[in-house]
Amino acid sequence: MSFKQRLLHPEARLAYLMMLPASLFILLFMFYPVLHVVMMSIHDTTRLGHLRDFAGLRYYNETFSDPVFWRTIGRTVVWTVVAVLVKTIVGMIIALLLNQPYRGRRFSRMLFIIPWASSVPISAIIWRWVLNHEFGLMNHTLKSLGIWARPPVWLGEPLPAFISNLWVDTWIGIPFMALVFLAGMQGISADLYESAEIDGAGALTKFSRITLPGIRHIIIIATLLSALWTFNDFNVVWIMTKGGPAGLTDILITALYKSAFEWLRFSRAAVLAVVTFVVLMALALSYARLYFKGEND
Amino acid sequence: MKKKVILAFTFVAVLGLVAMPLFGGGRREARPQVTVFWALYDGLTEDYRRELESAFMAAHPDIDLDIVAIPWDNMYDQILTSVAAGDPPDVSVIGTRWLLELKEMGAVLPVEDYVSQALLDNIAEGTKEAELEGVLWGLPVAAGARLMAINKDLTDVVPTTMEELRDAARDAADRTGAYGLILPGQKHTELTDFVYYFYAAGGEFFEVQADGSLGRSTVNSEAGVKALQFMLDLAEEPGLVPDGYLSQTRMDAHPVFYAGNAAYVMIGAWAESSLADAGATFEVEYAQIPGFAGHPSQPLVVTDSLVMFDGAGNPEAAAKFIEFFYQDEWKARFDELIGFPPVTLSAAALPQFDTPLYEALGEAAINAKAWPLMEGWAEYDDRIWDAVSEAFLGRKTPQQALDDAAAAIDRARGF
Repeated sequence: MSFKQRLLHPEARLAYLMMLPASLFILLFMFYPVLHVVMMSIHDTTRLGHLRDFAGLRYYNETFSDPVFWRTIGRTVVWTVVAVLVKTIVGMIIALLLNQPYRGRRFSRMLFIIPWASSVPISAIIWRWVLNHEFGLMNHTLKSLGIWARPPVWLGEPLPAFISNLWVDTWIGIPFMALVFLAGMQGISADLYESAEIDGAGALTKFSRITLPGIRHIIIIATLLSALWTFNDFNVVWIMTKGGPAGLTDILITALYKSAFEWLRFSRAAVLAVVTFVVLMALALSYARLYFKGEND
Repeated sequence: MKKKVILAFTFVAVLGLVAMPLFGGGRREARPQVTVFWALYDGLTEDYRRELESAFMAAHPDIDLDIVAIPWDNMYDQILTSVAAGDPPDVSVIGTRWLLELKEMGAVLPVEDYVSQALLDNIAEGTKEAELEGVLWGLPVAAGARLMAINKDLTDVVPTTMEELRDAARDAADRTGAYGLILPGQKHTELTDFVYYFYAAGGEFFEVQADGSLGRSTVNSEAGVKALQFMLDLAEEPGLVPDGYLSQTRMDAHPVFYAGNAAYVMIGAWAESSLADAGATFEVEYAQIPGFAGHPSQPLVVTDSLVMFDGAGNPEAAAKFIEFFYQDEWKARFDELIGFPPVTLSAAALPQFDTPLYEALGEAAINAKAWPLMEGWAEYDDRIWDAVSEAFLGRKTPQQALDDAAAAIDRARGF
């Protein structure tokens, strides 16, 4: 059957028709907004974001020549890499622990899911209270136990504020990683571990030769998702510090929000959105390549 | 045959989905709905909002009223996103400093075209800040100058200059172990906690050009640097201001005063209701925010307005809500709850507004100065506060920080 015949086959036509609503939906709600944002980035815009005159690459030049932009990019990269690494490593350790047979294991698993199951804004607000310098539980505990007589102003100084944001983001994200890894580990046959033990393999060898290869695909997918979510984690940064003090905890997504919805500079915000889109797309594509390469192997 | 039926069914379903929005599918609007964006002022209760909503709908059963409570900090974003999405509220509280921006967007309607002359006549003339080129775009909903509250249990001194305030705060802190003065180190909606000192030093944000328009930024003037240096000196003196001031917005910092742990605070008219809510038992005296030596007291005055939005669809019904809300029964109670002085002549004559707080507010209003009314203020406001933060953090001197802020503002405004 030729390509044309296949294309015009009644069953194929029915399939296209069935796909039409979903395709229209995707075109309308995914591709059009992306295209519109690209258009905004090369046009002057009104303070409501409507397109005006063609501006070419002016807003890209302005943005790329602004040192604050590059500092924000650098901070976003550090933020994403550190948070994903911590979530992956700690998540893996917790998954290994939860995979061991012991009494109360089911209860422990339930406890670990709580941060992930809680609403992100509510978690962030609670952590804001905990880290409040004057009335917060954290400094009260540190001072009263004599651990730190003069603790930092967690949300008021640049480095402590950045670390606080990172802590809350990882605190919320670790359970997801742990549960996904745990699900993967439970899919590995116990026979493999028993055989390895008979051959005299230690815990580390079993982990590196059986567990890690066994959940390789899951690690790739989980870290990809985590990287995408962390890069775009607006909620935690905005609620905790609003990118302050002096914009020193801003990541790309909060800087974008400020440009668009506080300062009404939609063209510049669109440039930041395009940069975000390109970075995340590149990340997703390289991960997909890695994933499918592994599948083909 | 079966396939044809499936094809026909799918086609009709897709067509229906596409056509539904065009014909207003799913909408069941038997009567006009009025949506009000309602700012959550300190002291304003949920009970009041609910009672107002119910009372209005009882009086106007032909109108659905939805009063949407929004925290002040999110108000600006919420209004802009709703306007940008083409779905504005019928009525909203706005900071009057946002009016020019909204007017330039064509988002607001002149309120004077919709409400009765009797209501317009009842509004105190001095509070009509939303009048632009002879047209009244919004009614004042809360208008009040800022003042200073003094904890009389900690100090008796009523300072007449900023320098005296610093000395008295230091003395109170040394004697009592409480903080001398509240100094929020983070911005809450506006850069209010800088402007107290800036205006006290005689500062102006912009030079005024020959044609009356605003020119280059002058926030880095001698007054600006003096104000910021003074704030820095206060912050660096141990025990004078709360240790964690760097992480505190007004919302975090003022409760320290309400708890009786600070001698002085620069605050708004909500002080009395917030103190009552916090169960404060100490005696409070209200006084004017002083100027620096050689400068008159020049406190900030903040006016918020109630405006009607274009494109919301029900301006006549919205106007009925405004008329209802501005009756003494509701508006005077609203003023009492949030602690602002009344904006209507009829409410001003009521006995509950004859107190020392309102007397101090009246005095403060005489020399008070408002925010600049201009487009893009939200960005400039952020840039100036970032400069204040950089100076607090020791990353720049006050002069460098304000020079950079002024340069960034001028660049953004095309100078």
